Amino acid sequence: MRSRRNLSGLVVLLGLLLAGCASDAELDTLKPQSETARQIDDLLDPVLAIAGVVLVLVCGAVAWLGWKNRVASYEGDDDFPEQMAHNNTLEILMTGVPAIIMVVVAVMTLTTHLDINSYDDANAMPVVVEGESTNWEPKIVVVGNQWWWEFRYYFSEDVTAESLGSDMKNLPPADIVTSGQIIIPTGQEVELLVTSRDVIHSFWIPALNGKRDARPGFFAPWKIEADNPGVYFGQCTEFCGLSHARMRMQTIAMTSNDFQAWVDQQMQPAAEATGEAVLRGQEAFVTNCSGCHLVDGLNGSEDISAPVQSGAAPNLTHFASRTTFAGGILSTYNDDGTFNRDDVSRWLREPEVVKDNAANDLPDGTLPRGMPNLGLSERTISDLVAYLETLGPRPTDEIIADSEVE
Amino acid sequence: MTITEEPLALGSGVTFAQRPLGVLTRPQAQGGWKDWVSTVDHKKIGIMYGVAAMFFFVVGGLEALLIRTQLAFPDQGFISADLYNQIFTMHGVTMVFLFIMPLAAAFANYLIPLQIGARDVAFPRLNALSFWVWLSGAIFLNTSWIVGGGGANCGWFCYSPNSGIVFSPTHGVDFYAVGLLITGIASLVSAVNLIVTCLNMRAPGMDLMRMPVLTWMLLVTQFLLAFALPVITVALLLLLFDRTFDSQFFDPDAGADPLLWQHLFWIFGHPEVYIIILPSFGIISEIIPTFSRKPIFGYTAMVFSGIAIGFMGWGVWAHHMFVSGIGPISVAAFSMATMFIAVPTGVKILNWLTTMWGGKLHFTTAMLFATGTVAMFTIGGLSGVTHSLAPADTQQTDTYYIVAHFHYVIFGGGVLGLFGGAYFWWPKVFGHFLNEKRGKINFWLMLIGFNLTFGPMHVLGLQGMSRRIDTYSAGYGFEFWNLMATIGSYLIAISVVVFFYNVWKSKKEAVDLPPPGPDPWDARSLEWSIPSPTPEHNFDELPQVESFDHWWFQKYDIDDEGKVVRIANTDDVAQDGSATDVHLPSPSYWPLVLAIGLPLIGYGIIFNLWLCVLGGLLTGGAIYAWVLEPVDDPDAGHGHDDHHDEAAELAAVASGAGSDNEGEG
Repeated sequence: MRSRRNLSGLVVLLGLLLAGCASDAELDTLKPQSETARQIDDLLDPVLAIAGVVLVLVCGAVAWLGWKNRVASYEGDDDFPEQMAHNNTLEILMTGVPAIIMVVVAVMTLTTHLDINSYDDANAMPVVVEGESTNWEPKIVVVGNQWWWEFRYYFSEDVTAESLGSDMKNLPPADIVTSGQIIIPTGQEVELLVTSRDVIHSFWIPALNGKRDARPGFFAPWKIEADNPGVYFGQCTEFCGLSHARMRMQTIAMTSNDFQAWVDQQMQPAAEATGEAVLRGQEAFVTNCSGCHLVDGLNGSEDISAPVQSGAAPNLTHFASRTTFAGGILSTYNDDGTFNRDDVSRWLREPEVVKDNAANDLPDGTLPRGMPNLGLSERTISDLVAYLETLGPRPTDEIIADSEVE
Repeated sequence: MTITEEPLALGSGVTFAQRPLGVLTRPQAQGGWKDWVSTVDHKKIGIMYGVAAMFFFVVGGLEALLIRTQLAFPDQGFISADLYNQIFTMHGVTMVFLFIMPLAAAFANYLIPLQIGARDVAFPRLNALSFWVWLSGAIFLNTSWIVGGGGANCGWFCYSPNSGIVFSPTHGVDFYAVGLLITGIASLVSAVNLIVTCLNMRAPGMDLMRMPVLTWMLLVTQFLLAFALPVITVALLLLLFDRTFDSQFFDPDAGADPLLWQHLFWIFGHPEVYIIILPSFGIISEIIPTFSRKPIFGYTAMVFSGIAIGFMGWGVWAHHMFVSGIGPISVAAFSMATMFIAVPTGVKILNWLTTMWGGKLHFTTAMLFATGTVAMFTIGGLSGVTHSLAPADTQQTDTYYIVAHFHYVIFGGGVLGLFGGAYFWWPKVFGHFLNEKRGKINFWLMLIGFNLTFGPMHVLGLQGMSRRIDTYSAGYGFEFWNLMATIGSYLIAISVVVFFYNVWKSKKEAVDLPPPGPDPWDARSLEWSIPSPTPEHNFDELPQVESFDHWWFQKYDIDDEGKVVRIANTDDVAQDGSATDVHLPSPSYWPLVLAIGLPLIGYGIIFNLWLCVLGGLLTGGAIYAWVLEPVDDPDAGHGHDDHHDEAAELAAVASGAGSDNEGEG
């Protein structure tokens, strides 16, 4: 009797669970937005159905047997049930049926697996870079750092794991270096080469594909694609230390025209500083920030070897063209579309409070991990914010709105 | 068959001097704490394993409650990110190494000798050593909270290079490495001891294929331990060398590939899953037949599926690494292997169901836990099949879907079964029942709390909630189910409180209740043929085993029409525990002393190498004293009239005993 109640409770719970999946979730794994993610989903769904049937059968059997065969006690009862200890037919069936089910599942899995792990070699698209048209085979280098992502675009050459070398802290100069948001053209299979400069991270945009670990010393091949323009959310999923929870990323998919426009503006050096506060901010940037952060056209054009553990800090040339910062946890723009001075100031004032890190009060011989608290004055912070706001161009309202969690 | 009383006989017939150096004697077992710290009795050691494991269950449980409290609501700062990382690491380490494994060891120690009809394990002093070494390692691990600058913060899997000195500069990871090395020694010694016990100490007629399913599953577990622990030992040593001596086994900046750690860890880590789960499978394979009044269905299939799981468990480790970047062919192979391990597992589930089929089911608390285990493990097994689809696993891995899965396996399949075992064997161990009414409250609270905690995690994982995040933001759809899971975790905590209350209250009430007698459940295996609680010498005479379920066939027979007829009253065929002439192995302090030396060496490696010298002297000295102390105390008996019936023993050997007990460990 009790066993039965137990199981009907289970069924109710299961129903609730399935209902729960229907709610709106930016990282939902069951709402594929690309061919690859759909293939994964199409593989999982029938197996979930089979598993559901088996679950109901087994738990139902426990409940039914528990109900039908229950006795209150054995007191004074010397009447035993039939002592069936084995039955060859039954036992062969009990081994054979699960084995056959697994063979079916195995064939389905193998097909999908091999499909997902094959890469389209004939997907080149034309991209105009600095006035010259190139045939770009979409390929982006994804680099994990504690606790932010860098994305590197190489248009002029077809990069491979070999051409990139094995020193993740000194990768070849790229045409575009951005962070937090990876921009891709829609309808294109984009190959990723995923690596890390410090510990192991994992790159994951659930709507577009499964995840791939970013491992130092190794370029893991992976791919993403998106059917439609939009902003797709992601989260680092391999435990990577203190701020693992605060290491997010987004994929922004654009039509090929918009993508070309984005490439054009990212290829520009940083905006010229004008106005008193902005010029003061630029000066403060050179004094306080330029040891780690590059603003192309201000303090060089090559990657900076930053004195932090990963050897890198986000390239800020087009800081304000991105809608997130601080490893994807803060918004560059407010809901009303204005520059988010409050959060940018807060980040400059006390980064270790906004996001746990290991950048201050370090033991001898260790390098900072994360953004240190530089003890900036309020005046300097205000100037820096004014300067950072100019490092656009500002993204579209649509992207600003879509990159917010609702 | 008893333990021989001859002082270690040399081949020539020369014996050691009775008292080497004139000082070393064997302590006397006279009750009190000295009895417990010097005991080599497998039953007392089993009880100590159980008590210590339950202590660490509470520790790990409190850590779990802290985790769930932090995650009850979004964006909480109830505990800091740093502390959270330590707590979830220590929760995993504690529950795996300091709770489930020793609790399974408690059952193994107590029950294997009884189920195979032996007076003790093969090497009683080694058995004591296993326990004390495990306990010293367990305490050592937890002292990192006090002296190590916090617990390890790298996750129980402690992936390199995050576990390196650069990324984890406190001593937590050192404590993790040394602590698990020490507890690993305990498990390894215990595995060898129990394997030898199963193979060499069986009562006359107790063929391998007459051993109870529990003993079989425990035997498979010991083989898994014996082969898996060396792998993690190597990995932990390399990690320790990296951190302490800058040896660069895993340092990518020096050209190493941190993937090596993952392979080593999971070659151990996946068999570990079966090390955790198989004892529980064995336990419910004893409970379900007893309370169905039927023999286990498909005994041979049960045994061989357990062995098959043991073998196949070695070929699936890389399913933990589907997204690590290993090649697609590797992924495909491990994906297939993982799918097919579902077959022997499915066989077990179907055999339990078939045992219940047509049976008379008596839902005692033990039976509730056992059937609950079948249902809950099935859920965990099925979500496991969904991970074996490598492409789908790239979405699931490192999300809460995995957390849900392995808690359904380890808690649903493991812990529930172990609790069922506690209720089942409690009268045998302590001579009184645990109250059934409170037991049922315990069960239902735990089952509901368990499902409320871990059921929602399936949803959270599929909605994309990452594992090991110390907080989550509002707006991702995680709020409701996290709150449910937190409420569930407190229900589990209440159910555990009910268990402890039941333990305390049932003991108090026991004085007014009739004793349970040797065989209160009308059960099937040999431990039920002797008094409850088990007498110190286990069996008055070792049984002559004639079949599987030998004890049951002492009480019942099956007539020509297949009907069961009672042939004897339980009390008439049960042993009364009155034998007084049984020789038992002598107690010893040296296992404890040896065990105390090991953590000192550990502290030495971490803080000051001179401590290693001290610890080394203690450990080395204890080994010498162990070797030199007499096998028996020449001047004292052992609380029994110590007359040894050599003729009877020789007769037993002559009659085809499956065992010959040569001395002691």
